[in-house]
Amino acid sequence: MTRLLVIEDDAEMAEEVTGYFRGRGYEVDCAMTGPDGLALAQAGSADLLVVDRMLPGLDGLAVIEALRAVGIRTPALVLSALDGVDERVRGLRAGGDDYLGKPFALAELAARVEALLRRPANEPETVLRVGPLELDLVARTAWRGKRQLDLLPREFRLLEYMMRRVGQTATRAMLFEDVWSYRFTPKSNLVDVHMGRLRRKLDAAGEPELLSNVRGIGFVLEAPL
Amino acid sequence: MTRDDLRALTGTMTFRWTLAIATGFTAMALMLFAFIYWQTAVRERNRIDGIVLTESRSIAEAPAADAARRLEDWLLEDLHEVRYGALFAPDGARVTGNILTLPSGLSPDGLAHRAEVGPLARDRDGDTNEVVRGVARWLPDGRLLVLGYDIDALDEVQEVILRALGLSVVPALLLSLVAGAVLARRGQRRIAAVHEAVGRIVHGDLRERLPVHGTSDNLDKVAAAVNGMLDQIEQLVEEVRGVSDSIAHDLRTPLTRVRTRLERGRDEARTRAEFQAMADRAIGSVDQALAIVSAVLRIGEIEHGRRRAAFAPVDLAGVLRDATELYEPVAEEKAVVLRLQLPEPGATAGPMVSGDRDLLLEAVGNLLDNAIKFTPPDTDVTLSLHTQPGEVRLCVADHGPGIPVAERDRVLQRFYRTEKSRTVAGSGLGLSLVAAVVSLHGFRLLIGGKEPGCTVEVACRIP
Repeated sequence: MTRLLVIEDDAEMAEEVTGYFRGRGYEVDCAMTGPDGLALAQAGSADLLVVDRMLPGLDGLAVIEALRAVGIRTPALVLSALDGVDERVRGLRAGGDDYLGKPFALAELAARVEALLRRPANEPETVLRVGPLELDLVARTAWRGKRQLDLLPREFRLLEYMMRRVGQTATRAMLFEDVWSYRFTPKSNLVDVHMGRLRRKLDAAGEPELLSNVRGIGFVLEAPL
Repeated sequence: MTRDDLRALTGTMTFRWTLAIATGFTAMALMLFAFIYWQTAVRERNRIDGIVLTESRSIAEAPAADAARRLEDWLLEDLHEVRYGALFAPDGARVTGNILTLPSGLSPDGLAHRAEVGPLARDRDGDTNEVVRGVARWLPDGRLLVLGYDIDALDEVQEVILRALGLSVVPALLLSLVAGAVLARRGQRRIAAVHEAVGRIVHGDLRERLPVHGTSDNLDKVAAAVNGMLDQIEQLVEEVRGVSDSIAHDLRTPLTRVRTRLERGRDEARTRAEFQAMADRAIGSVDQALAIVSAVLRIGEIEHGRRRAAFAPVDLAGVLRDATELYEPVAEEKAVVLRLQLPEPGATAGPMVSGDRDLLLEAVGNLLDNAIKFTPPDTDVTLSLHTQPGEVRLCVADHGPGIPVAERDRVLQRFYRTEKSRTVAGSGLGLSLVAAVVSLHGFRLLIGGKEPGCTVEVACRIP
């Protein structure tokens, strides 16, 4: 079973997060202070850390830095009320693997935790295949079965991103950060519009849908059964 | 005027300066008069000395038998009663002349000295002595000749000069003190008026201004500058007040919706699906409220100016291409044609500006978003770039209702929305964010266009 360590000093917030992840089948440990969190993380049984930035005793980033310094590479997601761009950069530089500003949707947190746990190995694949979809990364061509898809460069990258994360939810914010590399979140329907276009190109009439909306939060690509 | 008033008056800068200048002036005048006195006195003394020396020499050089007569003649010719003289026998007895006894303090060296002679033969004031310039010399026959000349004239010179001094310096000094006091009092009154005005401002009356007298003196200039600052502050405070009202208002709307939805969900939802639908709608409203809060914080972050440190050369054409790519599908969905016009469409790099690429992209994105939102379907939105000497102009033009001329300044304020746009969704912060980004970069934002149709231009300096 996947084990999370949540280091969060706000009891109510910690309760919400741990409860939510337990409900989704995770085993969750919780620490309320920096030093406690560091000790638990060093014990080494967690698969992923969710670390609040502002912690009593030892700052969240300091906890991650201390872990990295002793060679513990457990993926860490930083939660913070400080949502400036610089803050985000600082969080990632300290050794965090992802950064999420408060307030956030629990579903967003879950999608990012999932993404970190199943981070695609950056294998030098040249062709990605999901169900009837085939993406040739060298020739830059995309096929659904025998039908070639006419994709714009951005759509190609969007599809590649989704195909590397089959069955995982990609949130709008994740797509903006990773596919567009924008460090801001534009109007929420922008990604939907782009995704809608891609979806229309993927699915010809009568074909089963490959890309679907995850209610209120993002998208998922799944191979048809 | 009480003692305290007086102390306050004499304590003013104006008064002290006047006092210092008056003192300096008096010292100068005293020195000048002293010099004049000294010069005049020396001249007068030399003249008197000349008289007695010449006469004593001429008597001494005359035949001995003539000496007494010559002396008597000299004394007789004295119309002003200023001449004294006597001839003493070698034993000290007076031979002739109006000095009765041999003066004790006058050495018989034939040189002129200050001396006291007396008692005098024709003394009108009893037996007091007279102070003279005198000379004593031995005659060849062994008699002693003593001549004296009254120096009252010297005292008169002194008196005249002192009187002149009194007549000029004392009134001048008094006049300057009075002038200083008047000036200081006037300044004090103006300062007091300023003080009162500031007091009222501090107590919250931001419409109060410092008094300006129209004399364009220093105090007036300072007052005018402060008034300019107060105008700015008043406007800012008004703006902030407007902003907090707007934030409160704009937040209350979605929060009220959340409340009613939760309430209805609790009371009316019969199935889990119904409850979930209600929760989703409530979450949507909360997100809307959060988006407003985030936007406000974000504008604050941009306005703070910290990001200026990370400025780098940015290719504006690239920003425009990215923005177009990002918004093209949105435009298409609304049946709006999004056109991009670049000066050199094929060039790999267009005009470069110094800035934050993400923020510029976000700002251009906001402008496009607005344009697409407000332009009617089946019209176009044009995003273009014009190079001019020293600057690049980035222009977004649409066929929407536009912004009335009177409202063009206000749309840049946070939360300001034209009445016509009230019905269109949005936080009302899009243009404010653009304005914040533009001012962070030191660019200028120009809103133009005829109704219908709106153009927003950003004039970017080229480094």
